[in-house]
Amino acid sequence: MKGVILRICHLYPELMNIYGDRGNVIALERRCAWRGIRVEVSRLSIGDPLDPTSFDLFFIGGGQDREQMLVCEDLSSEKGAALRQAVEEGAALLSICGGYQLLGKSFLTWTGEYLPGIGLFDAETVGGDTRFIGNVAVRCTLEGAEGILVGFENHSGRTRLGPGCRPLGKVVYGHGNNGVDNTEGCVYRHALGTYLHGSLLPKNPLLADWLILQALRRRYDLEALPPLDDTLEEAAHRAALRLTREERGPLRSLRRLAAR
Amino acid sequence: MDIRLALALAAGKAATAASRRLGLGAGSNFPGKVVLRLHPRATEKIASRLARGCVLVTGTNGKTTTSNLLAAMFRQAGLRPVHNRVGANLISGITAALAQASDLSGKPGGDIGLFEVDEATLPEAVRRLRPGLVIITNLFRDQLDRYGELETLAHKMDSALGEMESGSAVLLNADDPLVACLGASSAASLYYFGIECEEVGEGVLRHAADSKHCRECGSPLDFAVHFFGHMGKYSCPLCGTSRPRPHFIAERVGLKGTLGSTVTLTTPAWKTTLELNIPGLYNVHNLLAAAGGAYLLGLDEEMVRRGVEGYVTAFGRGERLPVEGRNIFLVLSKNPTGFNEVIRTVREEGSDLVVLAALNDRVADGRDVSWIWDVDFEELAPLPRVLVATGTRAWDMALRMKYAGLDPARLEVRENLRDALRTALSRTAEGETVYALTTYTATLELRRLLTRLGAAPGLWEER
Ligand SMILES: [Zn+2]
Repeated sequence: MKGVILRICHLYPELMNIYGDRGNVIALERRCAWRGIRVEVSRLSIGDPLDPTSFDLFFIGGGQDREQMLVCEDLSSEKGAALRQAVEEGAALLSICGGYQLLGKSFLTWTGEYLPGIGLFDAETVGGDTRFIGNVAVRCTLEGAEGILVGFENHSGRTRLGPGCRPLGKVVYGHGNNGVDNTEGCVYRHALGTYLHGSLLPKNPLLADWLILQALRRRYDLEALPPLDDTLEEAAHRAALRLTREERGPLRSLRRLAAR
Repeated sequence: MDIRLALALAAGKAATAASRRLGLGAGSNFPGKVVLRLHPRATEKIASRLARGCVLVTGTNGKTTTSNLLAAMFRQAGLRPVHNRVGANLISGITAALAQASDLSGKPGGDIGLFEVDEATLPEAVRRLRPGLVIITNLFRDQLDRYGELETLAHKMDSALGEMESGSAVLLNADDPLVACLGASSAASLYYFGIECEEVGEGVLRHAADSKHCRECGSPLDFAVHFFGHMGKYSCPLCGTSRPRPHFIAERVGLKGTLGSTVTLTTPAWKTTLELNIPGLYNVHNLLAAAGGAYLLGLDEEMVRRGVEGYVTAFGRGERLPVEGRNIFLVLSKNPTGFNEVIRTVREEGSDLVVLAALNDRVADGRDVSWIWDVDFEELAPLPRVLVATGTRAWDMALRMKYAGLDPARLEVRENLRDALRTALSRTAEGETVYALTTYTATLELRRLLTRLGAAPGLWEER
C-alpha cells in the first residue's frame, strides 16, 4: 500500500498510560507496517495545541486519579472541542478506561469529585465503592468487527450510555460498563470507548483493523485492508477466551468444588 | 508461661512441618494463620522479645535481595536474624517465621527480626512489630489489580512511617522521587541512599510512562540523569524540591553483565570497593539499602564487605544453575521496570541466545498481564535464536514478542513449563546458557522442576 500514510495522535502518553495501554499503539503501528502503510505517531500532552485536521486516528489510555484530573482540565480548553470536531469530520478514535470516562459527559468520582467530560460520548460515569476486576469477554456488535473481544477490566466507574451513542458490545463474561445492563464500551461515529485493557488491540486484530480502515478512509478511497497472517493473534485470543471462561464461566462453582 | 501462646506456637510449628511435607513451600500463609487464629497477638508477643528489635524491608522490587544481603552481613556480625521466607511477606508469613524460630514460651531463638514486608502490609507491620529500622527500596507500578493505585499506596506507607517512634530510623531511596519524599511527618530519623555515578545513567527517558511529577506542587520533574524506570537525579523546576543528599552512596559503578558489578561504596564513616556478584543497576540499589541498614545498626566495614562477598544469590534472583551440561540463568522478572533491567543485563551476553520467557497470571503474579506491553521487548527481540514462551499466559507472551519484532519462526509456544524447559534445553548446545525470565509463580515452579532434576538445592535446604 505504497504512499498511504496513517497519522496517529497519542494523547497524554506520559499521564494516561495505566498498565500497557501503549500496546494498542504498538499494535496499530505494526499492523500498518506489515502492510506497507507508513505510520506517523505524534504525542500530544498538557498545553500542546491540537489541530483537528492533522490526524486520522486518536488514542487515549487509562490513568490514575491525579493524572485524570490534570487531563480533564487540559481537555476543557479548546482541545476538547478540537477532538470532537475531528471525530465529527470522520477521524477514528480509541479511548480506554480513564480516557473513555473523560470523553463522556461527566465523571462523578466515589470521593465526590466532579470531572466534566468533553461530551463526545453520550455517557455519564459515577464512581462505585468496589472495583470491577478480572478477565472479560464481550460480543462485539460493531459493524465490520463482529466477534468476541477479550480483555481485562479494572475500574470502579459505572458508565451509563444515553441515546446518543451505542454500546461496543454485550458482556459475555465480566462486568462491562456498569455491571447491570450487560453493555460494554460505546461507539459514536468512528470513535470507540471501552474498559478493556490487555492490551486490547493485539489480541483483537479485527478491532485493530476496523480502526485502521476507518482512519484511512478519511483521506483514501479504500474498500478493505490486505489480510495478514493472524495465526498467533487468533491462538492468543482463543487462549484468553478459554481462561476467561474457566474463571468466570457457568461451570466455575463446579470446578472450584472439584479443585478442593 | 502463657499457655495460650504455647498452644498457638505448637500448632504453628506442626502446621509448618505439615506444609513442608505437603510441599506447599515458600509463600504459604497457612502456619501463620493457624498461630494468629489461636493467639491474635502472637506476632507482637514474640517480636517484642527480640534483643535487637526488628528491621522491615519493603518496596516494589528488591525486598528479597536487600534483606538477604542484610542477613548475610548480620551473620558476619555474629547476629542470628529471624528471617521470613521468600514471598511469605504478609503478617501471617512473618508470624510463621517468628513461631518457627521461637520456643513454646515465645522466646525467640534469634536476636534480631529481619522481615521483608509487602508494601500494602507496612502499616500493620509497623503497628505490630515496632521496628527500629524501616528500609524502602523503591515504588513501581506493580499489580494494580492487587495494590490499587500507586499514589494511594504511597500515602498509606507515609502514614505508617508517621507511626514510628523517635529513636528509630527510616532508610529511603533518594533516587526514587516517590520514595524520597516519604516520612516527612515521622518521628524517626530519615536517611537516604543513592547512586552518584552518572556514567551508568542515561540523559533521556526511555518511557513517557516513567515520567514523574513533583509530589509537592504537581509540576513535571527535571532529571539531570536517569538510571532506570523513574530512578535518577531530579529536581522540581517550580518549587525547588529536589533529591535529598544520600548518606550511603555508590560513587563508582562498573557493570559486568550477568556477572554483577564493581561498586565503590561510601558511608559517613568509610569507603570501600566491593565486587557484587548479582547483576544490574537495580542490585546496586539493593546493595546500598543493605549496607546503609547495616551501618545504621552499628555494623562495621568488614562485616558489610564479608557479607557482600560471601553472598549467595537469593533464590531465582539471577541464579546460575547447571543442568545436563548446560546452564540456566534464572531471573525473576515480574514488572516492567524489573523486566527492562533484566533485558539490559541479558543484552550484555551477546546475541544468538536461547530464551525461556514464562508468564503466569496467578494471584501472586497479578491476574492482569497487560503490563508486558510496557516492557521493552523491542530490545530483547533481536537477540534470541529461539524464544520459548510458556506459562498460563504463554500466548500473550508470544504475541508480545511478535509485536516487538521477533521473527515468529524463532518463537516456540509450550504452555506446560516442563515441556518448555525440555524444548529450551534441546535447542541449547553443551556449555551454553538458557536465559529464563520468569514471573513470580513461574520462578517457583521452574525452581521446583530444576530441584527434581538435581540442578538446584530445594527451597527448604537453603539456609
Ligand atoms: Zn514542585
